Amino acid sequence: MEPIYLDHAAATPLRPEARKAMDPWLTGVSGNPQSIHRWGRAARESLEDARERIARTFGATSSEVIFTRGGTESANLAVLGRLEAVRTSPSEPGSGPPLFVYSSIEHSAVREAMAEVEARGARITTLPVSPRGEVDEAELDRLLARRPVLLSVQWVNQETGLILPIDRIAARCREAGVPLHVDGVQAGGRLPIDLAATPIDMLTLSAHKMGGPRGMGALVVREKSHLRPRLFGGGQEQGLRPGTGDVAGAVGFAAACEAMVQGMETEGERLGRLRDLLEDALSAAPVAPRVHGGEGPRAPHILGLGFPSLPRDLLPGALDLAGVGVSAGSACRSGSTAPSPVLTGLYGDAYARTTAPLRISLGWSTTESEVKRAIPIILETLERVRSVGV
Amino acid sequence: MSHFTKQRILVAMSGGVDSSVAAALLHEAGHEVVGVTMKTFCYEETPGHSKTCCGLDGILDAKRVADRLGIAHYVFDVEEDFTRDVIDDFVHEYAHGRTPNPCVRCNSNTKFRDLMQRGRALGCDGIATGHYVRAVRPEGTEVELHRGADRNKDQAYFLWGLPRELVRRLHFPLGDLTKPEVRELARARGLTTAEKPESQEICFVPLGDYRQLLRDRLPARHGALEPGSIVTRDGTVVGEHTGYAGFTVGQRKGLGGGFPDPFFVLEIRPAEREVVVGPREELFADGMRAGEVSWITSDPPRPGARVEVQIRHRAPAVPGTLQTESGAIQLHFDEPQLSVTPGQSAVIFDGSRLLGGGRIVRALHAAAATAAQ
Repeated sequence: MEPIYLDHAAATPLRPEARKAMDPWLTGVSGNPQSIHRWGRAARESLEDARERIARTFGATSSEVIFTRGGTESANLAVLGRLEAVRTSPSEPGSGPPLFVYSSIEHSAVREAMAEVEARGARITTLPVSPRGEVDEAELDRLLARRPVLLSVQWVNQETGLILPIDRIAARCREAGVPLHVDGVQAGGRLPIDLAATPIDMLTLSAHKMGGPRGMGALVVREKSHLRPRLFGGGQEQGLRPGTGDVAGAVGFAAACEAMVQGMETEGERLGRLRDLLEDALSAAPVAPRVHGGEGPRAPHILGLGFPSLPRDLLPGALDLAGVGVSAGSACRSGSTAPSPVLTGLYGDAYARTTAPLRISLGWSTTESEVKRAIPIILETLERVRSVGV
Repeated sequence: MSHFTKQRILVAMSGGVDSSVAAALLHEAGHEVVGVTMKTFCYEETPGHSKTCCGLDGILDAKRVADRLGIAHYVFDVEEDFTRDVIDDFVHEYAHGRTPNPCVRCNSNTKFRDLMQRGRALGCDGIATGHYVRAVRPEGTEVELHRGADRNKDQAYFLWGLPRELVRRLHFPLGDLTKPEVRELARARGLTTAEKPESQEICFVPLGDYRQLLRDRLPARHGALEPGSIVTRDGTVVGEHTGYAGFTVGQRKGLGGGFPDPFFVLEIRPAEREVVVGPREELFADGMRAGEVSWITSDPPRPGARVEVQIRHRAPAVPGTLQTESGAIQLHFDEPQLSVTPGQSAVIFDGSRLLGGGRIVRALHAAAATAAQ
């Protein structure tokens, strides 16, 4: 039987549009965009064209798009680059160490960067997110009144698909004069993003989550003085991310963005139907799952389920052996099984410790027949794991 | 194997060379091999180990080998069970003046049971490890476990407490091999673990300082770590010690001035916080009593049976006569034996065949018993 890949939030296949755009840059001379000769000019033209197209797709201007090597790097630049900028600018006397605020369900790229700024002397605190994906506005205002140097909130959560109210948070930040970084890695190409209408100061994007190439991302930065670079070199990307420009990556990124955004509405409906198909079928499993984020607005490509009293470390492996590729959430790099900080943030530590999480995620190449074939396999596997009673 | 039946077999991969080769051999034999690394405890707090994730090196090595072989590999988190069944027991035994054997405890209570259960959830028919033990499958009777062909590496001693119902599902692909052969097989396959050194210490005491572990896990000022007297059998105080948990029966204890002959630890009396010492002759025992008895075979030896017993890893098995009674083993050695250590395993063999064993409760002294009367 052909194995079924349902882990698109972890990695999704390269879209044919991206591959076609990249192809000329993977063969023959692919010049350095900073070179003065014809190969350099051609590379620069394509790199800057890609930048313009990505900017246009998200309502930004091209000078605001800083190419990076991926979502983690973008988020780290936003957080650690912000700390450096604050450190090197004159601070108000008596203001104490700078404060960073981030939501309780951030991806590890933000969470760990926050732990690092704390280790370097900053203060950090979290903004709670409810199981419906809501943020308590009074709490938000209270935190903003403490004049943090950065608030970091994700747009779409990677384990539940929950959509956070970025429009409202952005408006509050703007009123309070607090810079806002939004991790849009799972939102890019899934939700309408218009930076011309939403006052976001920094937006993290990843190419490969949209069907572009791996190792490519962007940080959209509205106000460069908010950041100091983390790398130093040839001054590329306005000095914020030096290094030889990746033309193939950029044109693949642009093509993937455009393809995702063009088909966003119909693709969203299609994936939402498939997600509902899975959700309805698996809700009838012998161990009825909790649908993570089920009480709030969700992006259509992620289905997070929690199976009470099943061992936390077995389901993805058992499903792998049965031919279905899914994950438990964002795993620690050892493949270890510490409780998910996202589920801890949403439902509490006791829940996260006693529930087996399963994340099923769909992508552009997912077909209805794959989903229909996967359902009985997942149900059988759940039944076997339950009956063994580990 | 005369008729090959393809099975899905779970292989416990520690990230060492032995389990790497065990996985490779089963894979090459045509089985569907599923590699598993059990995360038993967290290195994070251990000085000298990089502050990374838990036991990361072993997990990464196991993954690397599994990926090279093209087999699945998963990590099972058994930290909770392992802490309760192995580490807590280890601390409890030292606190009571005994010398525990955590590897036996892990094999008996944690590793194989967890592997079997999780293996069933993964649809596996069998379990394999890189132990140097032979599983012999005679036609029509139960599976027998025998000592490994490499007598220097033989690990049958550690397996006496395996749940009997599991034995028929076990595979030990290294049983007929020697360690140098295993390394050679690893090299020939380009496995990253081929030259990895042996692990000697107890896995959860990576720096070998078990007293530090006891300090961390026992209540403050627990008697096992408080000063007490060193006494001889007749009650004479001959010295002081800094905690009886630092002693093991049979250990040589130099007392310095006035006592030119070496003394040996004969007994630990936790209630009095006393360590009893004496000359080497007094270390000999005529027999021993063991509890928590477990038999690998469904037909254990009966009272009066002639068996061989091994009372220490690396010691030869010695002949004796068995008396069993309701869950305990009492055994009379043919020749008096040195250092019967409470807490250690007494493992019963019939030639190379492992029959079962128990945890030593105490030494038996025919002469002392007579003298006391």
